[in-house]
Amino acid sequence: MTEADRNQRPFLGYGLGLRRQHYNDVLDTRPDVDWFEIISENYMVDGGKPLHYLDRIREHYPMVMHGVSMSIGSTDPLDYDYLARLKALMERVEPAWFSDHLCWTGMDKLNLHDLLPLPYTEEAIGHVVERVSRVQDYLGRQMLLENVSSYVTYSESQLTEWDFLREVVERADCLLLLDINNVFVSAFNHDFDPHDYLDAVPGERVHQIHLAGHTQEENLIIDTHDHPIADPVYGLYAEAIRRFGRVSTMIERDDHIPPLAELLRELDRVRQIGESGVLNQVA
Amino acid sequence: MNNLEALQSRFQNYILTPASSAEISWVGGGGRASPQFQLSVYANAYLSRLKEVLMNDYPALSVAISSDLFEHLAEGYIHHHPSHFFSLREYGRNLPAYVDGLVQSDPRYRDLAWLPELASFEWTLGQAFDAAESGFVSEGDMASVPAERWPLLRFSFSPCVRRIDLEWNVPAMWKALTADPPLEVEAVRCGSSSAWLIWRQELVTRFRSLEQDEQLLLDALRSGATFNDACEMLAERIEADGVPMRAAGLLKGWIQQGLITRLMFSD
Repeated sequence: MTEADRNQRPFLGYGLGLRRQHYNDVLDTRPDVDWFEIISENYMVDGGKPLHYLDRIREHYPMVMHGVSMSIGSTDPLDYDYLARLKALMERVEPAWFSDHLCWTGMDKLNLHDLLPLPYTEEAIGHVVERVSRVQDYLGRQMLLENVSSYVTYSESQLTEWDFLREVVERADCLLLLDINNVFVSAFNHDFDPHDYLDAVPGERVHQIHLAGHTQEENLIIDTHDHPIADPVYGLYAEAIRRFGRVSTMIERDDHIPPLAELLRELDRVRQIGESGVLNQVA
Repeated sequence: MNNLEALQSRFQNYILTPASSAEISWVGGGGRASPQFQLSVYANAYLSRLKEVLMNDYPALSVAISSDLFEHLAEGYIHHHPSHFFSLREYGRNLPAYVDGLVQSDPRYRDLAWLPELASFEWTLGQAFDAAESGFVSEGDMASVPAERWPLLRFSFSPCVRRIDLEWNVPAMWKALTADPPLEVEAVRCGSSSAWLIWRQELVTRFRSLEQDEQLLLDALRSGATFNDACEMLAERIEADGVPMRAAGLLKGWIQQGLITRLMFSD
């Protein structure tokens, strides 16, 4: 990656996921958060509190939109009703960018409300690439795809996850939301070296990083977003910044949500690593 | 069916009905956990995620019955009603009808005749919570309507306005069951069905009972009747001389509560 590439990547700073538990604190105290990420589906409602607070907080902070239901890898047809609502929300929020996951969430018109991994095959690459292109055409801008945590391996997979991810984002010409915790979780669950993953990531396409906590079980780590970020994940994050340069980074917390002040302290640590990682960047 | 479609079909079937999916050779043996365990993570997460959604959308119902019975109810609903929605917000939509079916058919629910009403009440509260925004008519707008135009006046109501008829004391039960900590409360069947209004005012979801004449006027005007027709309907129930005064008083209250969004002149 050249310096010019690095400079082209927009940098929002260090953000948090916007959660309803913090609406009032955010408006009352205007915390030192550079930007917020919203879960798009939570605001695809007609009115009431969610949109009321969204509009008010948006007046003061940049935002990005993060979806969980696009199901880009499903073999069902793309859901254009969903995309139309997403587009309407994008017009309202004017996000710096929008993202969803490299996964499928259901078929036969069902939604399992989970981020299910795809098999790492040429067939799946072709399928996803074609759909990402159609989504980007419909919404008129590039999307970010996020790598998911996975607990299952498929017999038919022919590639590594990182080769699959790289092929998809390069062929679809989309951007990457790199979830460092997901890399760590999947590396443990599938017994690979997370550094091999980082080596293969096309750094110039990484426009956002997710950090989150997880739950360690006996033979598996579950991506629960209900704990503080684990130390080894901070280590992997520092490694990613050293390789890719400064990337907009945020913390996801979805359960056992602590007071805002606690998340701000966690974000300070992220900011410190993010900024010092740039100084130690690989040339 | 191509490979990807076949794999997604197998995986989805496993998550929806784990017990009936014996053949799992499509799951790889690599990694630290056994194929069976890898899949069970997804099947368990599916159940627990949707149960949590139902508990959040039905906070009173979920504590009104024993935790075992709620587990049974939630798992049955999840089995019979897989989600067709892009948002979990809509997932519990069919629970009131499902609970009604259980009360009619399952001996474990036979003594819980009030449970479907409690479910309907909670779902309706949720509907009012994030209904669309709308403008409001002010008392000044109303006062400026010339007297000769009143008979043909029609009213548009806020999308958050909901009406529900209840035979049980479920609003009182809901208050008690959602208190922190929940309070003891007994289900009581009222003599006859009572009319309730549910709406949202300045982001706060509210509910109150309606007198019979208010219910009549509200239902008539919400269904598109002119002011004149609605008053004639009211005159069949209360002293005719008092109708205009009573109707005006009710309209004023509705305006103050933010229920009316538009005045429509049909002439």
